[in-house]
Amino acid sequence: MTEAPAARVVASKLTHRYGRRATGVCDLDFEFASPGAVAVTGPNGCGKSTLLRIVAGLLRPSGGTSTVQVGGRDHGPADRRHVLGLASPELSFYEEFTAEENLVFAAEARGLGSPVRAAAAVLDRVGLGTRSADRVASFSSGMKQRLRLAFALLHEPAILLLDEPGSHLDESGREAVRDVVARHAARGLVLLATNDPEEIQLVERHLELHGHGLGDPA
Amino acid sequence: MSNGTSSSMATVWAILRKECRSEWRTRYGLNAAVLFAVTSLTAVTFAAGRMPDQPEMLSALLWITLLFAALSSMSHAFVREMEGRTLLMLRLVASPTEIAVGKLLFNLLFLCVVEAITVPLFMVLTGAPPLRLPQFLTILGLGTLSLAASSTLVGAVIAQTRSRGALFAAVSLPLLLPVLASGVSGTRAQWDGMPIASDARLLAAYAVALFGVSLLLYDHLWED
Repeated sequence: MTEAPAARVVASKLTHRYGRRATGVCDLDFEFASPGAVAVTGPNGCGKSTLLRIVAGLLRPSGGTSTVQVGGRDHGPADRRHVLGLASPELSFYEEFTAEENLVFAAEARGLGSPVRAAAAVLDRVGLGTRSADRVASFSSGMKQRLRLAFALLHEPAILLLDEPGSHLDESGREAVRDVVARHAARGLVLLATNDPEEIQLVERHLELHGHGLGDPA
Repeated sequence: MSNGTSSSMATVWAILRKECRSEWRTRYGLNAAVLFAVTSLTAVTFAAGRMPDQPEMLSALLWITLLFAALSSMSHAFVREMEGRTLLMLRLVASPTEIAVGKLLFNLLFLCVVEAITVPLFMVLTGAPPLRLPQFLTILGLGTLSLAASSTLVGAVIAQTRSRGALFAAVSLPLLLPVLASGVSGTRAQWDGMPIASDARLLAAYAVALFGVSLLLYDHLWED
């Protein structure tokens, strides 16, 4: 694994609303720098996934700013996909392709040097090496979750955004998540959106989003 | 060539190959387009017989067949991404412009394949008079460019709406009327031995305008 350049994620007065519905992403100020991992916690609907989407540059916040710096260079929202890896429950793959074909396509589109080798390496890392030639349509929920993890790791990003990475996983899958978080936190930055006590224990820093969850529809 | 440009070209190439492989595996669009073309041409020639001396009818029939064969399948370039929920994956590996240009090239290739099947079939079934090939190919090529550019743009714009299928036809048709009119007029002119320059110019200008607007819009399409 190559050494990751220094990474920072900074938010200033970061706010997001869906129409008139507020989220827990309300006037957020934080600064997280690599190496390390941060758990983003809070009740369902409070905005954990929303925060990761904003950081990933997929969602424009209603107010405030988010900054992603890697190697001393600012990456605007359109540019962040090069330095970030995102594994989210919303991420789906081409069911008519095999796991390997999906990742080789992603690697080619990202302009990686050896797409087949990169895909094989991450599939092995998440325990899907033996099923790499199977079509995604035949995958279980847990296998798809492992594939999401592999997709996020494919280009060895400096910042890893993991949204409920342990969902649907068996014990060996959870072990793979623990390994990914530990190894990535040692060299880069991991933002982990979760309410799983086991996953929260993996990290040393916490960002708790308050209010505006299911029980607080303000 | 800058690194950024060559990297974008590699991304577009990867998307084009992915589209081709996906279409080859599913035959989703091609089957629908070819079935429509064959069925409509067969039905019309059964009803009206061969019509070698009616270039106005022939040119209209050819373009209506091409247009609707394309419309029945080309929206899928983006709709398939929405229905399979794979747009997020695409957005994480490519910019909106790279995605749209990759899909535009696929739509162009797709149309060429549909035309390679439809035009010979049309010639045989309708008994159309021989084509003036350079003129015909000019009109067909420019019409294809406009058709692909328009279908890609509309497909991208309506991809996130709920009634995508209905909207695609409703939004596309007004945009495609100039293409249809010039295509019919130019095709008829080549059979009548008339010049095609004015129709070719209009089709070329329309294709360039659609490409230009598309490139300006694509980067803002999926901003949530």
